[in-house]
Amino acid sequence: MTDPRPHAFSRSAESALADPDLQAALSCAIPRLLERRRAAVAADPGFEEARDAASRIKAEVLDDLDLHLERFIAEAGKRGAKIHAARDGAQARDIAAGIAREEGITLAVKGKSTVAGEIGLNPALEAAGVSVVESDLGEYIVRLAGENPSHIVASAVHKTREQVARLFNVVLGEPYTEEIPALVGIARRRLREKFFAAGMGITGANFLCADTGSVAIVTNGGNGRIAATLPRVHLVIASIDKVIPRLADLPLFLRLLARSATGQPLSSYVSVLTGPRRPGDAEGPEKLHIVLVDNGRSAILQGKYRDILACIRCGACLNVCPVYRSIGGHAYGWVYPGPMGSVLSPLLLGLPDAAPLPDASTLCGACAEVCPVRIPLPDMLLALRSDARAQGLRTPGEVLGSKLYAGAMARAGVLEALQRIAGIVSQLLWRNKAIGWLPWPFSGWTARRDFPAPAPQPFRRLWKKQRGIGPWNR
Amino acid sequence: VEPVDPKAALLSRIREALGNRVERRRRDSSAAPDVPHAGPGAGPAGVARFRERLEAAGGTVLEGPGLDPLLPALAEALRREGVASLLCPENDGQARTVAEALVPFGPFAIAGEGEVRQAAPPVTAGIQSAESAVAETGTIVQTSRGGRTLLPGLLTDVHVALLPPDAVVPRLEDALGGLADDPPRAVSLITGPSRTVDIEATPAAGVHGPRKVIAVITP
Repeated sequence: MTDPRPHAFSRSAESALADPDLQAALSCAIPRLLERRRAAVAADPGFEEARDAASRIKAEVLDDLDLHLERFIAEAGKRGAKIHAARDGAQARDIAAGIAREEGITLAVKGKSTVAGEIGLNPALEAAGVSVVESDLGEYIVRLAGENPSHIVASAVHKTREQVARLFNVVLGEPYTEEIPALVGIARRRLREKFFAAGMGITGANFLCADTGSVAIVTNGGNGRIAATLPRVHLVIASIDKVIPRLADLPLFLRLLARSATGQPLSSYVSVLTGPRRPGDAEGPEKLHIVLVDNGRSAILQGKYRDILACIRCGACLNVCPVYRSIGGHAYGWVYPGPMGSVLSPLLLGLPDAAPLPDASTLCGACAEVCPVRIPLPDMLLALRSDARAQGLRTPGEVLGSKLYAGAMARAGVLEALQRIAGIVSQLLWRNKAIGWLPWPFSGWTARRDFPAPAPQPFRRLWKKQRGIGPWNR
Repeated sequence: VEPVDPKAALLSRIREALGNRVERRRRDSSAAPDVPHAGPGAGPAGVARFRERLEAAGGTVLEGPGLDPLLPALAEALRREGVASLLCPENDGQARTVAEALVPFGPFAIAGEGEVRQAAPPVTAGIQSAESAVAETGTIVQTSRGGRTLLPGLLTDVHVALLPPDAVVPRLEDALGGLADDPPRAVSLITGPSRTVDIEATPAAGVHGPRKVIAVITP
């Protein structure tokens, strides 16, 4: 992962909109993901109850996170896992590099892990002399292209099959093919040898079960379980918010995750791993290291954004977001795109470094409607916008504009007078048609689309005339 | 002053953020409730549900009163995938019996573990007795208990899971719930073949593991 650059959001979004390959890839993949989720949710009579239950359990975990984490550390330790705690990204990188050095690792196979991207794990390991091979197909493609993932579930959702075909042809020297099964076969062959040669498997964790010290890893390809089975060392990078109270809670979360992410009743492979290889085991890693990453999360617990730590990284809010669907994930400038990212990134990076992100939303509410753990994402985006203003991150013009707007909206008489004036001006200038050009600071709107001309009669006046009733004249 | 031990320091930061309130010291949060679900319970309805769900996930189910009548269909399915060798765990007598019974049906040779542990292995079917199965999701459950291996379903091209009908449990909770007291090192929930939707959100099978999963259900 390169340095975070959410501050460049506007410019990145502009180029994303102008990128025909990106637009083709998004308009091909996203509707498929949405339709699969819709069908899976419709077929599940208990989906809403499951959301309520998961949301409640996550809230309870976060309220008592120290206790659950303490229990996880004790139970996992009792079963032979070595637990590490990292305050920030730098500590997490040092721990991982230290483990690799101590174990004499030169090659590692890695499953998809967004927190690994967050802490910049790959460059740190490469600097410590470890080659890191991505085994998730999406991550593998993205690495070949020298890019970052653009989605927290489907890393290469921004790539068309033609682009993947060219990458495999040019970078890997494979014969050119656009057939998806053939491309998948190439990746299988290429990665298989790495699985055998690697001394260390690196994965994230979807869930950490506190009562057993187990790590649950969810994949569809099955790369996670190979990485956790064949290499001599298994390194798990997990953020502290992944903990759930019990192994018995896992089915609830697995169902929600699979349906929300890919529209499956259950993902193809779920591994529940408890400790390293035991005497009499047929296989498994000799050592299991689990790095618990804080990196700003304990501070989030303190305030009004605690619920964002309930996120299970299903990606449903990305797929459904009109902004994400238009620009893809790279424009957000860091590992967490879409609505969940527009909340989490400013909290982890600091609002000054990610100020444009809370604005990257129409507040349409679609994200909250699909969130399997009912995180109030639009409310949080709104709260972050007001934090940004409180922290002095708005230009004087923006502050003045929002003050004037708020003043008019709070006074019915003023609002109606302004609407009348706008209606008269609009009739004179644009004859009630669309407005194609406005001067700065409104030119940003009209550069891309028309602004609807104000109606000659405000709605409230029409209403009063036609119905003669209303709360204002009661 | 923050504790020196990083784990203690982490817990102390969290405690501080949560406000160190005494009244929030409760260990167990409320249990996951039993949410409504569509699946029938155990018995023949459970097996039918398992079959329907696994087939929907891209798997195949062969069901019969005994192994012998199923062998021709199983062998045909393996031949269609171009299977050349059969892998079964050393300590899985039932799987070995099935593998040996399959040999006369096709150009199959019984292979050792070493043959799949190479970069370009022959097309291999891994045969294994499953420990249980979940009707709700069409899931095959394997664990590491008793020295069991995941290999037949890990690196092969075809995974054949042998299953008696009474091993089918209604829900995921039934498969995982009993494990908390003494969890095995590895539990693997397998729902259909190895799958990817990473290129244009188009499903493709066999990205890392088996491209075909066959559940053989016999008493």
